[in-house]
Amino acid sequence: MFPTLNLAGDVLIVERVSHRRGKVGPGDVVLVKSPVDPRKTITKRIIGVGGDWVTFPVGPGNGDRSRSVMVPKGHVWIQGDNMYASTDSRNFGPVPYGLILGKVFCRVWPPEGFGSISH
Amino acid sequence: MSARSSLWNTAKKCVTIGLIGVTVKDRYVSIAAVRGGSMSPSLNPVTDEVSGSRVSTFDDYVLVEKFCLGRYRFSHGDVVIFTSPTNHKERHIKRIIGLPGDWVGISHIDDVMRVPEGHCWVEGDNLLSSLDSRSLGPIPLGLIRGRVTHVVWPPSRIGRVKREIRQPTVPSY
Repeated sequence: MFPTLNLAGDVLIVERVSHRRGKVGPGDVVLVKSPVDPRKTITKRIIGVGGDWVTFPVGPGNGDRSRSVMVPKGHVWIQGDNMYASTDSRNFGPVPYGLILGKVFCRVWPPEGFGSISH
Repeated sequence: MSARSSLWNTAKKCVTIGLIGVTVKDRYVSIAAVRGGSMSPSLNPVTDEVSGSRVSTFDDYVLVEKFCLGRYRFSHGDVVIFTSPTNHKERHIKRIIGLPGDWVGISHIDDVMRVPEGHCWVEGDNLLSSLDSRSLGPIPLGLIRGRVTHVVWPPSRIGRVKREIRQPTVPSY
């Protein structure tokens, strides 16, 4: 999630209410239970929700080819901001909305980075 | 004055009981209602599998334990309750047939597939009327909300929900 979040050591405040009401959408940074290992939590940004078409470059270091995928109902497409070093929906596909744990509200540490996470 | 203080005491007791109840429900055990006959005859048994007419007009209520969510270690034949991958507000109860790495047979297209890492293959006991992995695909383990261990209502059906291992439908060569 670089450069939005540092590689390590950031402390964030996560609110766990809006995803239960369905109020989490594109542009939000969310905590998600990994579809590859349910014991791990990953932090990514929602790019599209059910019904959207998402277009992404296939291998950002390998030229300009891109793919378009339609996100199925009840799923979200998540991507890390650091496209070159992120394992996300481009690898494991759209994830069910039920795996979302919460929305990142703001950062409290380090003090230079205090404040809300940018869109 | 004493009426106000007794009201305050009642309010404190309600909040305490509420907090304890929510903690127990989230971390240890909860009760869930079984809807539909997709798990017949283990849960909500039906007399006629095609028409779906039920033995009893009342739904089963089951005990769901949440201790399994610590390490996400499940066994073949466990009955679990999970959030639907197509609608996060719905929950389904089905039996785990395949765990990550297993090969499962999809009989209607005569094919087999490997259950991916972090996912499981679930099927209802009543295959004629069950919406499960045969149409939804493998379910991420992270969607599982608990394991069904006992039926607690109606009283005539109180008992353990047994772990039944179904023979895998993969053809052996």
